[in-house]
Amino acid sequence: MSSKKDRTFDFKNVEELQTFITPLGKIMPAKRTGLSGREQRRLKTAVKMARQLALLSYGVQ
Amino acid sequence: MTNKIHTYQAVFLLDNEEVRKGFNQAKDWVQTCLEKHNVDVKVLRLWGERALAYPIGSRQRATYLLGWVEASGEAVNEAKREMYLVGPAFRIMFLRADEIPAEEMEFGIEAIDDSAVDIPEEIEEFEIVEEDVAEEAAESKTEENTDEQAGKKAADSSDESEAVAAGEENKEN
Repeated sequence: MSSKKDRTFDFKNVEELQTFITPLGKIMPAKRTGLSGREQRRLKTAVKMARQLALLSYGVQ
Repeated sequence: MTNKIHTYQAVFLLDNEEVRKGFNQAKDWVQTCLEKHNVDVKVLRLWGERALAYPIGSRQRATYLLGWVEASGEAVNEAKREMYLVGPAFRIMFLRADEIPAEEMEFGIEAIDDSAVDIPEEIEEFEIVEEDVAEEAAESKTEENTDEQAGKKAADSSDESEAVAAGEENKEN
């Protein structure tokens, strides 16, 4: 298992990304995810790519 | 723009209407389109058929095609431009990667049987809603008609009873 420092996010792994998303579809803040700044930025990029591919929704309608 | 060759991960969202005609046909179209623009396709495989998180146009579901390619940025842009204009792909994403994972290289350019791709019939919610509304409207109309008829009958019967009562009174007088 990779250490927390090396944590990367794959935009195809929707189940993992959903754990960092609120019920309204927003990305949780770093305060709640407990990720470092770099990891939070990686998470943000992965979520945005998953949204573009319609794997995740932009929000609740 | 430099012509330096990079590795890219590519995802193509294919229209289910096109995939129903033949998955391999749609996949071959994507592959030939990429190769036409000097994109070296290393891996191209079916990732799955799934529901979209939000509707894109009138589409509720799509078939995902996953690929790994080696090409220059210019070639990728040209291929993308053509694929957005024609063909079965309605959304495309290229992502720069350091290298192609070994487990992905095993797939290669995968050819699967067309019957192996199971695409459920798309549920067109709007039509169902319209039908429901039409049915409800028809039901409410029939109910109204029956109520009106019942009301008319009641009115007629009350008129008749009044007339009978008046006639009896006249007879008594």
